[in-house]
Amino acid sequence: MNIRRVAAVASKEWREIVRDRMFLALTFLVPLSLMLVVGYGLSLDVEDIPLAIVDRDGSALSREYSYRFIDSRYFDFKGYALDRHELPPLLADNKIRAAIIIPENFQKELLGGRPVVVQTIIDGTFPFRAQTTRGYVLAMNTAFTSELLAAFISKKRGIPLAEAARSARPVKLEARYLYNQSMKSDWAIAPRLIMVILMMTPPFYTALGIVREKERGSIYNIYSSTVTRLEFLFGKLIPYVGISSANAAILWLIATQLFGAPFKGSLLFFVPATLLYIICTTGLGLVVSVLVKTQVAAMVVTFIVTVIPSILYSGVIVPISSLSESAQATAHALPAMYYTNIIVGTFMKGVGLRELWPDVLVLALYAIGLMTIGYRMFHKRPST
Amino acid sequence: MSTTISGSQEEEQEHRQSSQETRRANRIRGLVVWWNRMRVMTIKEYLQLYRDRILIVFMIYAFTLEVFLAGSGVSMQLQNAALQVHDSDHSFASRELIHRFRPPQFRIDGEVLNHGESIDLLDRGEAMMVLDIPPQFQESLLSGDTASVQLQIDTSNPVLGFLATSYGEQIAGQYGLEAATKREGIGVNQQVAPIIQEEHRVWYNANQNDAWFMSVVEMLNVITMFAILLPASAMAREKERGTIEQLMVSPLSTFQMMFPKVLAMTSVILVGTFITIHLILQPCFGVPFRGSLTLFMVVTAVYVFTTAGIGMLLATIARNLAQVGMLTALIFIPMVFLSGAWTPPENMPSVLRALSAVAPLHHYIDASLGIMLKGSGIGLLWDSILAIALFGAAIYGLSMSYFRRQLG
Repeated sequence: MNIRRVAAVASKEWREIVRDRMFLALTFLVPLSLMLVVGYGLSLDVEDIPLAIVDRDGSALSREYSYRFIDSRYFDFKGYALDRHELPPLLADNKIRAAIIIPENFQKELLGGRPVVVQTIIDGTFPFRAQTTRGYVLAMNTAFTSELLAAFISKKRGIPLAEAARSARPVKLEARYLYNQSMKSDWAIAPRLIMVILMMTPPFYTALGIVREKERGSIYNIYSSTVTRLEFLFGKLIPYVGISSANAAILWLIATQLFGAPFKGSLLFFVPATLLYIICTTGLGLVVSVLVKTQVAAMVVTFIVTVIPSILYSGVIVPISSLSESAQATAHALPAMYYTNIIVGTFMKGVGLRELWPDVLVLALYAIGLMTIGYRMFHKRPST
Repeated sequence: MSTTISGSQEEEQEHRQSSQETRRANRIRGLVVWWNRMRVMTIKEYLQLYRDRILIVFMIYAFTLEVFLAGSGVSMQLQNAALQVHDSDHSFASRELIHRFRPPQFRIDGEVLNHGESIDLLDRGEAMMVLDIPPQFQESLLSGDTASVQLQIDTSNPVLGFLATSYGEQIAGQYGLEAATKREGIGVNQQVAPIIQEEHRVWYNANQNDAWFMSVVEMLNVITMFAILLPASAMAREKERGTIEQLMVSPLSTFQMMFPKVLAMTSVILVGTFITIHLILQPCFGVPFRGSLTLFMVVTAVYVFTTAGIGMLLATIARNLAQVGMLTALIFIPMVFLSGAWTPPENMPSVLRALSAVAPLHHYIDASLGIMLKGSGIGLLWDSILAIALFGAAIYGLSMSYFRRQLG
């Protein structure tokens, strides 16, 4: 391994990147704009669910019950429907996503101390939203019921309402939110986006950089030169690792400064771990580029092996714990999940090497493994 | 004299007739030439695609296995959330409450003995929640006081945190109601207490089968990726290899240069979509087609054409394939994340909401899920289809004029 030759390859690669102004601009613009657009746009909070209410009772109590939903920030009240037959077209056309049907005699039954059934219709097209919607409705009903019960007990036993309320709600659950007290979606998403973007972009640059030489035929200059495989790969990858590292720093700044995500861990741990991850994903690009012959194939393969796994199997949108066994196995076999643990640990939990060493170890093994595979498969004498 | 005149008139008539015929013949010949050019150029695109074997292999993978993986393992629901218990009461009542945290939502992993231990487990990510039951829990329940129970939740994933909280509150609330009615002597059957009982119906996907949603959305993402990338690459490749010069000196019009690429790639993607539906969606996941499959294929064709237009626009901006790749990443990834599948447009900032109103993928997802799950027909979907088509027309107009300026 001759450092001078590595430097020569690296500077040639750098010159090629710089000469293509638009490509150079895009290597920085793509991560930046993805962070901003997706960071601002993607939110997993379910709010403003379009709702219609059918009130077949029209009593004071049913109105009070309706107002609970109308005033809630979780629902966006679209209006009263006269009867249930008006609902299907509204649901089919996405005008509403949920409907509540209050039965006749709602007030009479409840004030008489008897139960009533309130029907909820939910659009199940988006399963996660449907589940959350149901959670809101249940919470509303539980709260309203315990008030009714308190009034009922206080009347029945002739005790003050406050005392009755206590005995109507004997168990109080105090939820303590750890790591993300305000449950901010931004806080959770922006740091994880660093993982997504550093999963997608480095292999993209690398694969394109190497396959471009193949497709244009200029790789034969390398084949016929005295540069060894190792020197060529090192020289080729250094500029791309450099660009990605600069991007990582920019993304970290955006996450902490612009989105206000907390960073409780230490940069001394986070920076080397991130560099390791970038080497990993760059190695992934190397393996792809050895595999394919054309830039189109390089792009498609890179998209398939990075974009989809980093969305599905990394815990950004879908938590790892709720994956099926086979999907969990897939998640464990990809680097994205381990770096997500590092991100969540350093940003939100303020933990470091002591808790996260297994993840770092796996990433290190990955980096070594991918680079070795790429090196072994890359031949200076192409099989014809 | 008269004969010559009449003769010349006849001649003139003949001449007029023959010129009409030649004009018609020319027009037909022109059409035949036009058609032949289109056909040859389209076949050329098929050949180029077919030669890239690795690309073909990965396309097949994307349209089959990829969709299968997404549909078979990914769920957005709270499942088996790891729960640790810190029970300081060890009473009948506390055990009764703990046992209500059951699968499928929760999984009780074990018991911790002190606060430090529970924080450590949460830090390591080995537990998602710790349920903390205070001493004298049972006593305060029986005496009519309020007993507080603490649930510590890892909310580094807010979605799960929210769902876990809401399930936890339901369990505690229900438990409390039963305890209260029992204590008041109202009876366990709750038939004589003013209680709102919830009965919910989930329409279009009654069993809340995540696979229906995940696999369909994944297929639409795959379609989108190929629809942008393939035509754009076909165009950029001509530029990079210099063959665009040959096309320019040929008698082909701009339209004839662009359209065969779009046509070839669209047809390939439609075949892929058809395979996905019949090989993965229906047999593996039982995704229903309550609407018309033909309508879905028509909407898909319109969508792929439109999206290919985005690709063409990128190819006119870009000088080489690497730039096309970067530009595709720039457009495709936000499209997927902000398609409305994860975040409803009404919850986005206004600028992005406006963007998603014109974004073709958003309309396409609505239309596709509408056809499959809701059985929507053209009457409901015409506005979505129109939005996609209008967007497509605008994009093609833009890229054609840009392309002409570039080469003109």
